[in-house]
Amino acid sequence: MNKSKNQFLAFPYIIWMIGFTVIPLLMIFFYGLTDRSGNFTFTNVLAILSADHMKALLLSLALSTVSTLVCLLIAYPLALILRKRNIGTGSFVVFIFILPMWMNFLLRTMAWQTLLEKNGVINSLLSVLHLPPISIINTPGAIILGMVYNFLPFMVLPIYNVLAKIDDNVINAARDLGAGSFQTITKILLPLSVPGIISGVTMVFVPALTTFVISNLLGGSKILLIGNVIEQEFTKGSNWNLGAGLSMVLMVFILISMTMIAKYDKNGEGTAF
Amino acid sequence: MKTAHSRFKEFFENFYLVLVLIFLYAPIAVMMVLSFNSSKSRSQWGGFTFQWYSQMFESSAIMDALYNTLLIAFLSALIATILGTAAAIGVNSMKKLPKTVFMGLNNIPMLNSDIVTGISLMLMFIAFGVSLGFKTILLAHITFNVPYVMLSVLPKLKQTSKYTYEAAMDLGAGPVEAFFRVVFPDILPGVLSGFLMAFTMSLDDFIITHFTRGAGINTLSTLIYSEVRRGIKPSMYALSTVIFVTVLLLLLITNFSPDKAGTKSSPSKGVQTASAGSKNSGIRQKILLTAASFFIIAAVSYTSWRHVASSHSDELYVYNWGEYIDESVIEQFTEETGIHVTYDLFETNEEMYPVVEAGAVQYDVICPSDYMIQKMAENLLLAEINLDNIPNLKYIDPEYMEQSKSFDPQNKYSVPYTWGTVGIIYNTKRIEELGVPAPTKWEDLWDERYRGEILMQDSVRDAFMVALKVLGCSMNSVDPKELSKARDLLLTQKPLVQAYVVDQVRDKMLSGEAAVGVIYSGELLYLQEEAESLNLDYELEYVIPEEGTNIWIDSWVIPYNARNKENAEKWINFLCRPDIAKKNFEYITYATPNQGAFELLDKEYQENTSVFPDTSTLTNSEVYQYLGTEADDLYSALWKEIKSH
Repeated sequence: MNKSKNQFLAFPYIIWMIGFTVIPLLMIFFYGLTDRSGNFTFTNVLAILSADHMKALLLSLALSTVSTLVCLLIAYPLALILRKRNIGTGSFVVFIFILPMWMNFLLRTMAWQTLLEKNGVINSLLSVLHLPPISIINTPGAIILGMVYNFLPFMVLPIYNVLAKIDDNVINAARDLGAGSFQTITKILLPLSVPGIISGVTMVFVPALTTFVISNLLGGSKILLIGNVIEQEFTKGSNWNLGAGLSMVLMVFILISMTMIAKYDKNGEGTAF
Repeated sequence: MKTAHSRFKEFFENFYLVLVLIFLYAPIAVMMVLSFNSSKSRSQWGGFTFQWYSQMFESSAIMDALYNTLLIAFLSALIATILGTAAAIGVNSMKKLPKTVFMGLNNIPMLNSDIVTGISLMLMFIAFGVSLGFKTILLAHITFNVPYVMLSVLPKLKQTSKYTYEAAMDLGAGPVEAFFRVVFPDILPGVLSGFLMAFTMSLDDFIITHFTRGAGINTLSTLIYSEVRRGIKPSMYALSTVIFVTVLLLLLITNFSPDKAGTKSSPSKGVQTASAGSKNSGIRQKILLTAASFFIIAAVSYTSWRHVASSHSDELYVYNWGEYIDESVIEQFTEETGIHVTYDLFETNEEMYPVVEAGAVQYDVICPSDYMIQKMAENLLLAEINLDNIPNLKYIDPEYMEQSKSFDPQNKYSVPYTWGTVGIIYNTKRIEELGVPAPTKWEDLWDERYRGEILMQDSVRDAFMVALKVLGCSMNSVDPKELSKARDLLLTQKPLVQAYVVDQVRDKMLSGEAAVGVIYSGELLYLQEEAESLNLDYELEYVIPEEGTNIWIDSWVIPYNARNKENAEKWINFLCRPDIAKKNFEYITYATPNQGAFELLDKEYQENTSVFPDTSTLTNSEVYQYLGTEADDLYSALWKEIKSH
């Protein structure tokens, strides 16, 4: 009774989605499945099989997977420490991690260029300390760094949110029953924070897979990601049909990856994909 | 023993926290330092200054953009939070199948790349006859914000026990009361972080905003991107610094103010504070709510009032490159003619084209480049200019009207505004160190000794132009054989290239990152003046390669759907006046085709053959032509091969 009533709360958003998500999506399908003169074709979708596109897609998948893992590895201990410290209130922590994102994305990424360049800030500091310079700019490493930097808050916040909500008594009980810190983490905290991890992984993996600005600015445009290909078809090659076809393929890839991630959510309580 | 261990652990944890914070805030620190840099370059320190701060507060463009950005971010986040939270509760009690479908749909805006979302929304708005403007940006932002809200709220909802809600009902609370007093406090942290996330995403978005905005509306992002081409003004860094410091101060004040000390000292962990203070905060919440709604009403009415106030009888909508006019020229135009100018910016020809093609915003006068003018004319997007209304056309050097014929055969659609060449810029000291003679031809960019020292243009046509010229072919070639030869040539060059860049050539050359770069002649005066004022120990020289190069011309055109065509002609005529053209040249430093203005210039400029080369030496040079969609596809396929290699 009560459940079905609650469902109505989703209705305004369902209408919103039909208007602003489904209709534009149909337009992408329309473009993706037709050629320039409007005839039905699968060429744009099958174009993903060409060597260039395949390579770009695999590279994007590899780079975004690595950055997601790095984000997770950095964010989880961080969220644990934040939970333990209880620095100020919850919103304070949230702010500290979100604040850098209020500075424009392009300006921040260009600031990384200033930091990483051959004659950049980091190398100047290293040379003062008589250390060998790093040459990371214009490599896949720099792209991963840029992705981790830009998307880390998306990983920290959901995990922290979930961890902060876990009752202290649960942890104390585990301790009383003889669990060490490590066991407490693996047996109690980790399983309980799965929904947060899944949210975080989604929010990092997806934008990392489709980005093109980061690879342009920090990769020196020498590394072609699938996002760059799509962007180029829309803005430079002006072949919208191909761009739309490739985006359709990319969407399928993202859906598959998300389903795979959701499988790890054994309790069946993670975000449903 | 135990204490030593825990002390070590604590030290380690602190160390880790500090490390992550340094990682997050290092670029912000860079931006703050740059805001005091008297040089416009992002890579060189030119001395300490406050001038960018005063410029920032004086610039109405920046202040308007800031206002729009904040208002859109706040409204879209607020509406998205309400929609998203309600939807999250609804979806949480759905059965498995509808839930999966719902979540799948919900994630679509996140799955698509921004550019796809942006263009598809623009197409839809146009298809349904919604005129682009403030409201379309708002609708678009809400659309991509809701998924982030849902992703924050859903995990929280899953943690709440449904029994507390039922218990509240059993104890006599109505469903609304039970929700707000039992469930809501539990999910509040998720709702708040969802709001914040939505606010943040909205602040940061560029691409979707670009395609859904209307004339005369800028957000900070669109303003910043339009500046990229000519170098970002440090006033943007100044603004970022101000925002950062303000927010940080607010944060510290609210967090460490005395009335919060009580809750802080309580042993309760983390988010429990949200429910702990819920009774006292009832009044505070009401005040906050009133303040927020007051703010919204005030802001919205201010916006609409401004809209009414700014609607003039005599109007002109101009669409131009960022930083491509001396702003005082616009003011002078309004003073002299009484025509109110709405001035919008684009960053590339390709980005401008769909906006005009779709008729999304009706501009009256636009300033595209040569090949794009041809494309627009071929696709019937241009109106013939009535040259009788432009008597000042006589000041334009006939040479450039002649050159224009390659893309506008009868000179009926376009009036030249600026022109230039593409050439090689080199760092005199660096090439000496490498032991290479100064470059004189494009072929020198294949010299092994330049390994990792070359900056190529990240643009299909410019890159192929270089290779085609080395091969002795036309840069407008559509012959697949010639083009695949050019591709092979570019592939052999790729290991030598440090990066393919568009706008960063400037900063990278100034900081000595690379020895040689391919650059537009218009950047030259800026670079040389900057190099001089920074007292660099090397010089930047420019050469037009022997094989010939691209001559580009940016011209004013009037689109077919212009509503104020006569005003547009007045505008073009005004810009052709020698004193105005001179003023513009001195600001933007791109060569002017205006003979009258050239004669007014300082000798120093007139004799600068890099900026004003003797056109008789440019015999092998060409102007880009529009090659048609088939050739476009071929070029972009070959370019992808090079980039993905």
